[in-house]
Amino acid sequence: MGYLRFISRNLRGRPARTTLTALGLSVAVSAVMLLTGISWGFERSFLAIYRSRGIDLIVVRAGISDQLSSNLDASLEDELRAIPGVSQVAPSLMDAVSFEEANLVSVLTSGWEPGSLLIEGLRILEGRPLRPGDRRVVLLGRVLAMNLGKSVGEPIDIAGERFEVVGIYESASLFENGGLVMPLAELQRMMGREGQVTGFVVVAAPGVDPRELGRTIERRHQGVAAVPSGDYVKENIQLRLARAMASATTAIALVLGSIGLLNTMAMAVAERTGEIGLLRALGWRRSRIILLLMGEAGALGLLGVAGGAVLAAAGARGITMAPTSRGFIEPNLSPLVLAIGLAMGLGLTLLGGLYPAVRASRLEPTEALRHE
Amino acid sequence: MSDRRSEPTEIPPLLLGEGLVKTYPDGDVRALRGVSIAVAPGEFMAITGPSGCGKSTLLHLLGGLDRPSAGEVVFRGRPLSDLDLDSYRASEVGFVFQAFHLIPTLTALENVQVPMFAAGIPVGDRAGRARRLLEEVGLSHRAGHPPRRLSIGERQRVAIARALANGPSLLLADEPTGNLDSASQREILDLLSRLRADRGVTLVIVTHSAEVAAEADREIRLRDGLVVG
Repeated sequence: MGYLRFISRNLRGRPARTTLTALGLSVAVSAVMLLTGISWGFERSFLAIYRSRGIDLIVVRAGISDQLSSNLDASLEDELRAIPGVSQVAPSLMDAVSFEEANLVSVLTSGWEPGSLLIEGLRILEGRPLRPGDRRVVLLGRVLAMNLGKSVGEPIDIAGERFEVVGIYESASLFENGGLVMPLAELQRMMGREGQVTGFVVVAAPGVDPRELGRTIERRHQGVAAVPSGDYVKENIQLRLARAMASATTAIALVLGSIGLLNTMAMAVAERTGEIGLLRALGWRRSRIILLLMGEAGALGLLGVAGGAVLAAAGARGITMAPTSRGFIEPNLSPLVLAIGLAMGLGLTLLGGLYPAVRASRLEPTEALRHE
Repeated sequence: MSDRRSEPTEIPPLLLGEGLVKTYPDGDVRALRGVSIAVAPGEFMAITGPSGCGKSTLLHLLGGLDRPSAGEVVFRGRPLSDLDLDSYRASEVGFVFQAFHLIPTLTALENVQVPMFAAGIPVGDRAGRARRLLEEVGLSHRAGHPPRRLSIGERQRVAIARALANGPSLLLADEPTGNLDSASQREILDLLSRLRADRGVTLVIVTHSAEVAAEADREIRLRDGLVVG
């Protein structure tokens, strides 16, 4: 019998405690994994909007905290095109609409110009792309079309107006797959924002440093922010909120989990005072006792992480299937997220197990043996 | 002090207790008040006396489970205060307790292996060694059973096998028959006698039982922390 078997016997010999402790840990670990995964999934999906099209810069009104609140004059497009180093420019107006009958809220609605690089970033699965002169037509993202049960040629009511679905697309971004696209002019009319856009996307010419180009744009146009797409995504307010929530949840789980583990391990050690006294009587050194108890804590941590990963995967599946979130949230349970869960689970158990283990190792054998 | 053997010759004692005093800080209890004893190699000594007279305390000091407040325990000519007590307990001493102190989550075979961790016996050798010890105490057929599925007598036999795990020179038993019926008591006494004869191990037993004491080579009687006979 080696250490691993001894540890395994001790855990299996107390099934209720082992199960409940591992379960508690699993819930904490899965919450952290899931929230981190959601936050990272958001970020990945956002980044995909820009990366899939080779977009270097996002031009919006300076000082805004939310992209939807940005407001720029559409005529700025020509001025941007004239700046040396700018290869392509495309205006974009964005809003969110709801389809209450399908229980879908805040569906991303984009107004783009037919033939723009934004439209070209979509892969048309059915029907056709937008054409110049199109009126009262929309393209639906694959997930939105599935959620609404709409196909090409069918009518669709958006904010009280009837449109025709002329195409269904797929994008590298989950947000776009869960959204819809209509001609820029149509969305401007519907929102009462004729001549205005939310912002522009810019592709720099080959060999041009996007940051430098961004600074040039900002110098030439007061009140405009030209942000590299990666930075723009990182600074996105929703993403920052999601990241903050994930961090806060991790911190709370860490504190609560540590206290819970500390309590469990302290109880486990108290129950086994006689056993620890026996080990000391048999010549076990204090360090060996600590190693055994920390080994048990570590094994509980691994069980908790395994359970947490299963719960997180189930939770992720539930989120992607739920009517209110399907198509909009796709948790990214990457190996790195699993590694975070692993580090947290092991960290929690080792942290919670350390004090009781050290305390147990300090018991005098005769005193400990009297407990039995 | 009564001696049923011929007087020991000039063989140096295996274990010496010199002027042992043990005072517990809580309540200023003096469990031992100057006890001196010598245990010869291979001897079977019984320590007897009424409850609270300091028998178990003396055994604990001899076994390095506790340190005396005054006086010294000397093992093979070396004071325990100069020795690493963990190593001393792991390799030189085997303990048998009244309450057995078997680990409930382990099988009999695994319980016997527990002291081997401390003595550095390689993992691959432990099971075979434990199996041979269980055979020696007549329990090889119960090797895979946890303590709860063993009779009281069997539990004590597992505890004895465990005490022998690292081949100690000294076996210290605290009321080893205290929880046993008379038949099991006889079995355990016979087993201890046989093991002592086969292995040449020195045996010190704390007991209330006159029958157990009668088996010993020598009996030390304690009262109020002092040797009285």
